[in-house]
Amino acid sequence: MKKLLMLLMLLPAILMVAACENQDTKDKVVIDFWHMSPVGSPTFSKMRAIVNEFNNSQDKYFVKGTGFSFWDYWDKISLAISARTAPDLGLSTIDDVYGRAKGGVLYNISEMIAADTSENNIDLDEFRESQKQFARYEGDLYALPFTSTARVLYYNLDILAEKGFTEADVPTTWSELKTFAKHFDVVEGGDIQRLGFDPTYGNATYHGWLWQTGEDFFDEDLNPTLNTETHEFVLQWIKDFNSEFSRAQLQTFGESNNMLGIDPFAAERVAMIVNDDGLNQKIVDAGGTFNYGVAPIPIPDEDGIRVNWGSGFSIELYDNGKNDLARKEASFEFLKYLMSEETQIKLAEANGWIMSHISAMEKYTADKPLLAKILVEVDYAMDKVYVPYAPSWHGNDWQPFYTEALEGKKTVKQALADARAHYIQKKQNWEATN
Amino acid sequence: MTDKEKQLTRPFWTLKRKKKVTGAVLHVILGLTSIIFVFPFIWMLFTALKTPAELLQGTQSFFPTNPQWGNFKEAIEKIPFFLYLKNSLVIVVLVMIGTLFSATLAAYAFARLKWKGRDQWFLIMLGTMMIPMQVILIPSFIMYVQIGWLGTILPMVVPAFFGGGAAFYIFMLRQFFKNIPKDLSESAIIDGAGHFKIFWYIMLPLSKPALITVALFVFMATWNDYFGPLIFLTDPEKWTLALGLRSFQTQYGGRYDLMMAASILIMLPTLIIFFAAQKSFIEGISFTGIKG
Amino acid sequence: MQKKGSLSKLKKQENRMGYIFAFPWMFGLIVFGAFPIIASLYISFTSYDMISAPRFIGIENYKILLFNDNIFYQSLGNTIYHVALAVPLGMFVGVVLALFLNSKIRGMSVYRTLFYLPNVVSIVAMSLLWLWLFNPNFGIINQVLKPVYDLFGIKPLRWYADASTSKMTLILMGLWTAGGSMVIYLAQMQDIPVTLYESAEIDGANWFQKIIYITLPLMTPSMFFNFIMGIIGSFQVFTLAYIMTSGGPSRSTYYFAYYLYDLMMADQNMGMASAMAWILLVIVLVFTMIALKLNKYVVYLGEEN
Repeated sequence: MKKLLMLLMLLPAILMVAACENQDTKDKVVIDFWHMSPVGSPTFSKMRAIVNEFNNSQDKYFVKGTGFSFWDYWDKISLAISARTAPDLGLSTIDDVYGRAKGGVLYNISEMIAADTSENNIDLDEFRESQKQFARYEGDLYALPFTSTARVLYYNLDILAEKGFTEADVPTTWSELKTFAKHFDVVEGGDIQRLGFDPTYGNATYHGWLWQTGEDFFDEDLNPTLNTETHEFVLQWIKDFNSEFSRAQLQTFGESNNMLGIDPFAAERVAMIVNDDGLNQKIVDAGGTFNYGVAPIPIPDEDGIRVNWGSGFSIELYDNGKNDLARKEASFEFLKYLMSEETQIKLAEANGWIMSHISAMEKYTADKPLLAKILVEVDYAMDKVYVPYAPSWHGNDWQPFYTEALEGKKTVKQALADARAHYIQKKQNWEATN
Repeated sequence: MTDKEKQLTRPFWTLKRKKKVTGAVLHVILGLTSIIFVFPFIWMLFTALKTPAELLQGTQSFFPTNPQWGNFKEAIEKIPFFLYLKNSLVIVVLVMIGTLFSATLAAYAFARLKWKGRDQWFLIMLGTMMIPMQVILIPSFIMYVQIGWLGTILPMVVPAFFGGGAAFYIFMLRQFFKNIPKDLSESAIIDGAGHFKIFWYIMLPLSKPALITVALFVFMATWNDYFGPLIFLTDPEKWTLALGLRSFQTQYGGRYDLMMAASILIMLPTLIIFFAAQKSFIEGISFTGIKG
Repeated sequence: MQKKGSLSKLKKQENRMGYIFAFPWMFGLIVFGAFPIIASLYISFTSYDMISAPRFIGIENYKILLFNDNIFYQSLGNTIYHVALAVPLGMFVGVVLALFLNSKIRGMSVYRTLFYLPNVVSIVAMSLLWLWLFNPNFGIINQVLKPVYDLFGIKPLRWYADASTSKMTLILMGLWTAGGSMVIYLAQMQDIPVTLYESAEIDGANWFQKIIYITLPLMTPSMFFNFIMGIIGSFQVFTLAYIMTSGGPSRSTYYFAYYLYDLMMADQNMGMASAMAWILLVIVLVFTMIALKLNKYVVYLGEEN
């Protein structure tokens, strides 16, 4: 009984809240925009300001921006896409736009740009071809690159200074990296206290190192390679980098800092690490006060290619099959706003991301030397190819074999062979059902 | 016997002594073991009290050196805590009522009534618990979208009144109902009582500990559920505490100290209810025979 | 006195009553449950990437899983290992806890709350803590066990970092939440008439005999319940491995439900994931039916004395 009364008392309150919202949206076309800055997150108010500015600048359209926590965002958007209740605009990952475009759930952006004659139309030259190519399906763009990440080598200047080194001494090749890193290892009583560098820490990936040799996981027909000498060479190099320690030691050392999402570099436990622009934000968030810099990732001594794994978010306009032209038009207007130079700068400031607009980012990083250097590497960034039979080929397909090789459970050759067999089986199965 | 003789012939291990020693031993064993179980909570509390710089220390420091009790206040202020609290309460209360209603009825049917197909339906009920939720998710979501319940709390609340997610509790209550002596209900039938009367006046009162357990579990599950609100609710005005809490986990790690503080605050109601519910556990000493 | 005619009338009435009582649940099942469940069955016979409409392909998914997929059997094996150990252990710990906490000494409420605490703490927080405690190098558990290792001359256990001990480690971590089943046992124990204990004491029974001959037999309905629920739940083990070990090392903690999740989220292969779900359903259903048949021989239902 008491509970029922409590419920009845709350009912009017709920109804009142529901009635309040209709004031600002009368006579306007209302659209939904989903992003990753929910109420309560550090970036919430800035994102809201960006959306509000658009709403206040005109009175035809009204954008309702809603943020979801980064980790939940993906569940929310993929479920919404499946049920055709996706928002008018949303963020996603650019490397699998193909699947969504093919499935017909995205609006054709090239068409909209072509049909638009206004002054503030999107300037496609401001976005890198290396990203746009992922957003194309049958020749047209079905998404636009929203952020651009790149991976670089971070180095802790304070630790370097301890041994009398400066920025000028930062290595540029794999062998230089190995000898240089050894200067900073600190071991006490058999436990690692500090490490110079490890090719598996941070955001470094096997395929990131592999690409620097010019090799890839798949050939043009998307068959797995993996049985070449180059693969063996790279995997062996990664495995042997810190061979004086056991893999177990290295793992637990790296983990001890990941406990609370803290990065080993941010905690000053490693002198150098490969990571993306996000690490910079992490250090700022965690209140790190040491001096650090960034440089291009060292490349193989012979025939090394300057390349790094850069991915990025895409921004997409979802087609829920309702053929609502008013909303489509409103979404495109908002898209133009979001992709304009000024807004891209604001978005970078708000989220700590490197956005995809080239001129905007050049302006934005003009007074931020660290980010400017990372921006340069974005031009050398490459995204991973979309493999329909193994969309997560670098993730849960590859990781078990990778760790087995690193831990010495299998020889490098064996691990690569087993991985290759796994991909081939997956390809077979996929072809049987598609 | 004289008092003196009684004293001399009394055994060493009197009942009182036995009770005292067993009590002390029990306290020691329980005390030590409970430390193991309490540890996670203590760790959470310490994390909530640390400064971001201390968190950066990682595993070096266990104890917070400068307890940031303000983190609790900050956690409440960063998100619309009381709005989310209200939303959570609405959903939780409705789900508790609904589940108790439908689960007790169904449990009685399975436990005490003979009807055609009963055992097959029971197996089907168990079967519903064997399908992983992930594969039901998309069709279920699409279904609710089709009937227009997206953006409301209805998908999270209405099924509870119809046994949704209650298979666990129906099964549990069935076991409890089965354990109540049949003579009680049989004599009630002889006296001319219908099944509803038996259900209301005999089964339910005698199952108080079980009912409280169900209420507690339902409260906890619903209170902590963030996934339902995540997928069905978009308007942050309607979010629940469990969902609001997720905002502390950002792409780059976020403020774990605030997250722990908020987690602890959210945990408290469940603990308080559990502690309070203990009373009926201790008092619920049941009787045997057939009374009145 | 009841006449024969009214007996059959009573039976019919009972039959109708059964349906009336079960109606809310049945209605919910048919209205809210039938569509998603049948849809997922249908999807298991299709190729569905969760974007375009599902495309019918017959039993291909099942054929692939059963005949051309190494990981399927590995994940199934891991899960069966987990079920075989986690269920008995979980029951044992739950029963022992309940036995301890059923005494009437002061402060029992406090203890019960403390033991129940892990069930209330968020699983993410718990996992982080366990990663720290069980860390092979600096974790407290290995520090505490150091003398034991030295005594037996063995290397410290690597817990979740070693393929041979990872499953066991996760099982141990799962025991922390045995407080859940403990509560159910405690509730059941409240129904045991005190007079039974009293008359046993008069007959000279000690505490051990009281437990064996009174408490445990009268707890069998809830033990059976926790057994079945343990089986159903353990077959779906996933969350801990997902948060803590990512299915490793070497896929040693890559459970059936984890593979299912990966098929769905990483491979975007909903059809095959649904097929896995239905295979799991059949397996668990078979186990449960066997257990239900055993029900007759094991459970004391307060019918006789």
